[in-house]
Amino acid sequence: MKKKAKNKSSASAGWKKLAPKSSRRPVSSAALRKRLSSSGKFFLLILALGALSYGGWWLEKSTRSGSRTLDLTGPGVPIAEVSFRTDGVLSEKWFHNWFGPLRDRSLMDLDIGRLHRELLEEDQVAAATISREFPETLSIEIRERQPILVLRLGSKKEGVRDWLVSSDGTLYLGTGYPAKTVSLLPSLVVDPALIRFREDGCGFERLEGVSSVAPLLDLVRREYPGIYRDWVEVSYERPDEDDPGAHVRVRSGKVRNLRFSPENYAAQLKRLNYLLLEPDIRRRPSIDSIDLSHGRSVFAKL
Amino acid sequence: MSKIIGAVEIGTSKAKALVGEVTAEGGLSIVGMASRPNEGVRKGEIVDYRKAATAVHAALEEAEKMSGTTVDSVYLAQTGAHLRGQMLRGSASVSSSDNRVSVSDLERASEEAKRRQPETGRSYVHHVRTPIILDEKVVEDPVGMLGDKIDLGYWSIDGDDQAIRLALHVISNYSLEVADLILSSIASSTMMAGPDLRRAGTLVIDMGAGVTDLALYRQGYVAFTGVVPVGGDHVTGDLSMGLRILEPYAEKLKIEHGTASPRSSDDKEEVWIIGNKTIGDRSVPRKAISDVVHVRVVELFEIISKELGGLLDPDELKGGVLLTGGGSLLPGIEEIAAKVLGLPVRRASFPPGIAPELAQPENATVLGLLHYGLQDHGLPGRKAGESQTFMSKIAGLVGIGMN
Repeated sequence: MKKKAKNKSSASAGWKKLAPKSSRRPVSSAALRKRLSSSGKFFLLILALGALSYGGWWLEKSTRSGSRTLDLTGPGVPIAEVSFRTDGVLSEKWFHNWFGPLRDRSLMDLDIGRLHRELLEEDQVAAATISREFPETLSIEIRERQPILVLRLGSKKEGVRDWLVSSDGTLYLGTGYPAKTVSLLPSLVVDPALIRFREDGCGFERLEGVSSVAPLLDLVRREYPGIYRDWVEVSYERPDEDDPGAHVRVRSGKVRNLRFSPENYAAQLKRLNYLLLEPDIRRRPSIDSIDLSHGRSVFAKL
Repeated sequence: MSKIIGAVEIGTSKAKALVGEVTAEGGLSIVGMASRPNEGVRKGEIVDYRKAATAVHAALEEAEKMSGTTVDSVYLAQTGAHLRGQMLRGSASVSSSDNRVSVSDLERASEEAKRRQPETGRSYVHHVRTPIILDEKVVEDPVGMLGDKIDLGYWSIDGDDQAIRLALHVISNYSLEVADLILSSIASSTMMAGPDLRRAGTLVIDMGAGVTDLALYRQGYVAFTGVVPVGGDHVTGDLSMGLRILEPYAEKLKIEHGTASPRSSDDKEEVWIIGNKTIGDRSVPRKAISDVVHVRVVELFEIISKELGGLLDPDELKGGVLLTGGGSLLPGIEEIAAKVLGLPVRRASFPPGIAPELAQPENATVLGLLHYGLQDHGLPGRKAGESQTFMSKIAGLVGIGMN
């Protein structure tokens, strides 16, 4: 119809200039209904176009980039519970602080492998097991390193700090330990040449030789707690069992110099215990040295 | 795929709206039609915008509801005493070296004809093309023919800007566009006078409530159009004044007992009428009613005769006079018209294919709007082949030819 009107435009150009440029306010209810209907249709069209555009943008955003894992299980339920278990002193609160907010992530949204690697980077964590318990529980089980010694180190940047030493020689600062527990640990005295920084500058490399000393400390703590409680410092010299000069030195409250050889700690501790129970030894407030490192012979300097 | 078109007539007594569907096969079916009493128009011109708009909008809304669809634009009928027609002529020399007439020659002649501007405050409403003359010979389609000079004319109707603007505003207020303005007399004569009658020469008189529209055809083309500001309402007014009755009752009397040509039996018959408060109810002789009607009807046709003057040539109008519109239903009106105009007069009938409930004389204009609007009235040679076939199918279906 508009085409017909166009063909006649030259013939009817006179009256066409009188056509109103814009509509006035509707003067009748029928005109108002017509205007609302036209506006409604136009509005619906805009709404439909807007919904289509939004849908297309959302779809494009959802399927873009490979960094997100495909949700093969369908829409996931946000994690509602974190089951945290440890054999040490770390708490669930520590884990939440370490992990950060869950942000409505589902179990499938988590990269378990990465989470495992990052947990193991914590020196206090010796081993970790992470598993998904569907539909909404994340299970974390860790085994912590146990401190056996304390090593006091000082630096210009950070000042003096007490580093915990585990049985495998790992040095770490430790989280969650009661102050009394740390205070009961013997201090380690070691050649500074053995202490090396890590390449990334965060912490220290493992101390060599501690693994040879650890069984002594473990045994004395378990079997002879009275003797262990008196131990103040531990040091060692070439603690390799094959080295004839290898020994472990301990300074306790009673004995200023205890010397162990790195083999057969149990026999040596038995002899020590026997010696310390001797009335003559017991009466003395302190003993200069006891050398247990020569097999069945014990040399004591009172 | 079908097309929906609309037509609107803002009449003195009623506002009419029509919705039609043009199918791909070329058929036209009326899918919605409605009318509403209109109190905002007098003698074919809008005097109360709000009332006229309310009536038109209500009719449009009902027509759209009936059709189950909406229209975007409508053909709008124009009438009123403010409309004046004049013949505009233009000519052009055939430009091609081999003297073959081209479309551009016709276009130049057309532009020259339409160059003349109407008076200030007036605008052209409708241009109706008259015969094309090639070297003083009337031709239907001169494109491709040999010749030297093309003469082309238009019967151009211009109207008052304010009256036209008001009508356009009524439509635009309903959020519709006006596809085209069509003269009421052209619309109704297109509907009621077939191509044969128009070629033979005929005068179509559309007797409405407020005005009477005239369209005179010679050799198939419009030779004259006019509007006489006298209609059925004037007869009603005369009856109301003369018999001292309220207008609604006068209208009822006119419809039930009115006759344009008094009969001898009217003297003996009495009609019971309801008067106003001062004179009360009473009976009057039927002759009194007939006399009032007769005088007004004779006056109307005398005005028409004076308006047309020498154009009322029986040799040029072999098709006679056709009466249509609501006023044509008055008994005896053909005899009075024939006596005054000096030509054979008959009531026009609708072409076949129009539903009986639509084929009422008062619907001649609004139905004619659609049919006229669908036709291609452009210059020959400019028509698209497809549209020509399409138009031919419509014309064939309803028995209406093209100009």
